[in-house]
Amino acid sequence: MNKSIRLFHFLEDALLYLITAGLIGLAILQIWLRNVHDSGIYWGDSALRVFVFWLAMVGAMVASRESGHISIDAFTHYLRPAQRRMLGVLTSLFSAFICLLAAWYCLAFVLDEREYGDIAFAQVPVWICEAIIPVALATMGLRFLIQIFVPLPETKS
Amino acid sequence: MELLLGIILILLLAISGTPIFVVILSLAMLGFYVADVPLMVIAVELYRISDTPLLLALPLFTLAGYLLAESNSSTRLVNVTQALIGWLPGGLSMIAFITCAMFTAFTGASGVTIVAVGALLYPALQQVGYSERYSLGLVTTSGSLGLLLAPSLPLILYGIMAQQMGVGEPFTIQQLFVAGVIPALLMVVLLSVWSLWHNRGRQIAMQKFEAGNVRSALWEARWEIPLPLFVIGGIYGGFFAVSETAAVIALYVLIVEVFIYKEVSLRQLPGVVRRAVAMVGGIILILGVSLAFTNVLVDAEVPTKAFELIQSVVKDKWTFLILLNIFLLILGAILDIFSAIVIMVPILLPVAVAYGIDPVHLGIIFLANMQIGYFTPPVGMNLFIASYRFNKPITELYKAALPFMAVLIVALLLITYIPWLSLGLIR
Repeated sequence: MNKSIRLFHFLEDALLYLITAGLIGLAILQIWLRNVHDSGIYWGDSALRVFVFWLAMVGAMVASRESGHISIDAFTHYLRPAQRRMLGVLTSLFSAFICLLAAWYCLAFVLDEREYGDIAFAQVPVWICEAIIPVALATMGLRFLIQIFVPLPETKS
Repeated sequence: MELLLGIILILLLAISGTPIFVVILSLAMLGFYVADVPLMVIAVELYRISDTPLLLALPLFTLAGYLLAESNSSTRLVNVTQALIGWLPGGLSMIAFITCAMFTAFTGASGVTIVAVGALLYPALQQVGYSERYSLGLVTTSGSLGLLLAPSLPLILYGIMAQQMGVGEPFTIQQLFVAGVIPALLMVVLLSVWSLWHNRGRQIAMQKFEAGNVRSALWEARWEIPLPLFVIGGIYGGFFAVSETAAVIALYVLIVEVFIYKEVSLRQLPGVVRRAVAMVGGIILILGVSLAFTNVLVDAEVPTKAFELIQSVVKDKWTFLILLNIFLLILGAILDIFSAIVIMVPILLPVAVAYGIDPVHLGIIFLANMQIGYFTPPVGMNLFIASYRFNKPITELYKAALPFMAVLIVALLLITYIPWLSLGLIR
């Protein structure tokens, strides 16, 4: 595999583990503070929500590395491999188009949000929290684009 | 006209295997485009899912479920149940129903129950004297039993979706969990009764009750015994918030499986976390785009029009319910449970409420149908998983699953037409 792709996978994975650890850690810390010390980090719950959102987006990016996204395979089960491949090209093309188009508009939105400079929690501005949306959509779009030319290995479902 | 053409094209791409999130996202974008809404709104809509307080529970429960599935907890669960109730007539069948239900509640009906629990029970059932076909049917159909029990992901997802809609009588997620208990028990009881009757002429070896066995099985599973207690106390008892329970369970399972039982090594852990997060990330993304899609539908007054259309044909609640069951059974076989929930709930819930159906009752009916859809021939997902796992032709699985399906449809009809079964404990 290409070196830069490997590096990108490594970064994605690292981000995923980091957010998972942060999520569990912060959630447990909040419970501890709330129940034992009757206190809590006041932006803790907002941060947790953003963590879950980021985790979901990074998870969705990672899912598109393999054919990890849920799709209807009830009918494609009955096709021959060559026919499946043909449909695969078509669906990848469509998915790439939709994801990249959405990424473009979401990027415009995030840039707008940066102008406003609202704060989500603690010192973190909203636009940073939202920035994962265009990144995730663009990454998935590019992966679908690549899958037009390099099909994924058939996975058992 | 172009709109209709676009929708048909997208639906064709959907059944050709386009990821569901892309399908819903494209429908939403098409809707916004037609309504002259700037497409930047997609980002707003997606980000809106972070406002859902229950969302935190999804990745945490999923992670716990993946870790449990990865370890030998299924063996310990079977051993404990076997030691406790193996001496009853038809004991092993009942063990199978109960362990599958409990395992599915924690891991979701992703097929992992068939692979982890079913694979243990399938040879055991035949060993004590059950027929091959019966055993095969049992493990295939029990792979989705337990969807109605906390902390099953589809139940939480229905709760999130229905609460977002805010139609009908409001309910808490705890109430939804409690509502599923009697229907789930009803299914287990009916299946057990049928299994006793079906195997009445057979010589089934029975196990003696031995206190020693119970002790050793309980001792083996001592670290996992608290899990159902967390769920009962935390979720059903309402002592903790659902997401707090999820955080505690996730951390607890992580420590127990990785550091105490050591069945998931530190080297394997990243892979398990990655698969769990990729799966739940995909589901949350589908949830996000479907919230956008819901807005498009509501703006276009689709639920209202759907209701008017249905009401012009279907006059009473009972006819509506039977048609709903037929529709959902077919849908459950074709569409995975998560997509079915996020796509259909926004349309069905307002219609059902207009017919006087309680949102909680609808949720239980919905999931009970989906549960059966998992093994509805010819395309139910669990049929394929069982065919692959047990190396049997798919047609044999159709035959094996049918009697169990009939029993569960009886349960479904009771659940549908006796709202008390779902609502008795909460309303």
